[in-house]
Amino acid sequence: MATSGEKVADLHRPSEILDTLKRLGFGVAIAVPDSWLGEILVQIEAEPSIRLIRATHEEEALAIACGSRLGGVRTAMFVQNAGLLSMGAGMVSLAQRYQFPLLMLVSYRGTVEDPVFYHVPKGRVTEPVLQGIGLSYARADRHSPLGPQVERAATYAEEASCPFALLLSQEDVQW
Amino acid sequence: MVNEMRASRADYYRVLADRLPANALVVTSLGNASYLWAAMHHAPENFYFEDAMGLALPLALGLAVAQPDRPVFVVEGDGALMMHMGSLVTVGAVAPGNLTVLLIQNGVHAASGGQALTSAKLDLAALARAAGIGQAENVATPEAFASAMGTPPLGDGARFLVLSTRPDPEVVNPPIAFDPVLTKHRFMAALGVPRYVPTMFGGGRLEGR
Repeated sequence: MATSGEKVADLHRPSEILDTLKRLGFGVAIAVPDSWLGEILVQIEAEPSIRLIRATHEEEALAIACGSRLGGVRTAMFVQNAGLLSMGAGMVSLAQRYQFPLLMLVSYRGTVEDPVFYHVPKGRVTEPVLQGIGLSYARADRHSPLGPQVERAATYAEEASCPFALLLSQEDVQW
Repeated sequence: MVNEMRASRADYYRVLADRLPANALVVTSLGNASYLWAAMHHAPENFYFEDAMGLALPLALGLAVAQPDRPVFVVEGDGALMMHMGSLVTVGAVAPGNLTVLLIQNGVHAASGGQALTSAKLDLAALARAAGIGQAENVATPEAFASAMGTPPLGDGARFLVLSTRPDPEVVNPPIAFDPVLTKHRFMAALGVPRYVPTMFGGGRLEGR
């Protein structure tokens, strides 16, 4: 967490994510990459305390994460918001139905800050879809340190026994 | 591969119940895969799917990674596998030596009443091998399954046994309630995994972490 004299801009926000996962004892991360997530996944792969599994599809990644958490390991997911859209059935009938606490770290594409135009169709429906399927989420606050926000999201997931999605901007997650 | 004189799911389950290692964890797909296994061999170490078709195999993969010292068995169907064929690739890449996949190949969507599959006669063992799962074989009879169960796994990646099975569209009435949250808590208690200690009690961590 930033001390009072520290500026938010001094902190490398993707490093805050990784440092927080390590400090909280996350043992497994499941991922389907996009261009923003590519390098943080390489960094996680080099981290001995976290096992990275690269899945082929986000709904598959969700089920792997449920299995890992079922086996007693705190588990994070790294996916793009396109993946939140494509994992809907597994989200409601597995992760939410069985109440698996999962931390979902999501590259939030297609907002007004994203220069890649073809992400827009996903960006404009993401939050309405999350609300529709009852998936708890928050958009990371760029004016506050990211580590405590990741910790609060992880705590929410555990204490509410459900997946929680933290929506991240490019500066939050691109290493 | 499917064959003409296919055995029933119960025939294979009798072999599984007889040969299952004492410390094994079992994940079963939706429908009779779960209902019949609960009727024949209910145990806290069973994780039953009630729906979420196609996700039993990837869930079992995650479980096998989290519990590397426990043998993990997963019963998945051919229709379910086709919904998430990519899981084969991930299992091949992660290569957990403690995971055994029992693939019920009955050629239909049995859990929903026996509708036709997209393709009923695939060589699923060949598909698994192509996806990087070296120990993949088609099993034609319960006797051959018993023999495979009696052979220790090589420990070099997952095992994938395709069981040629007669369709069983009649729903088995399970002897227990299929409450998903109860299933999860019973399973995790049997495993003895660390408890999450809430922040208001000074935690915010798994016990001991």
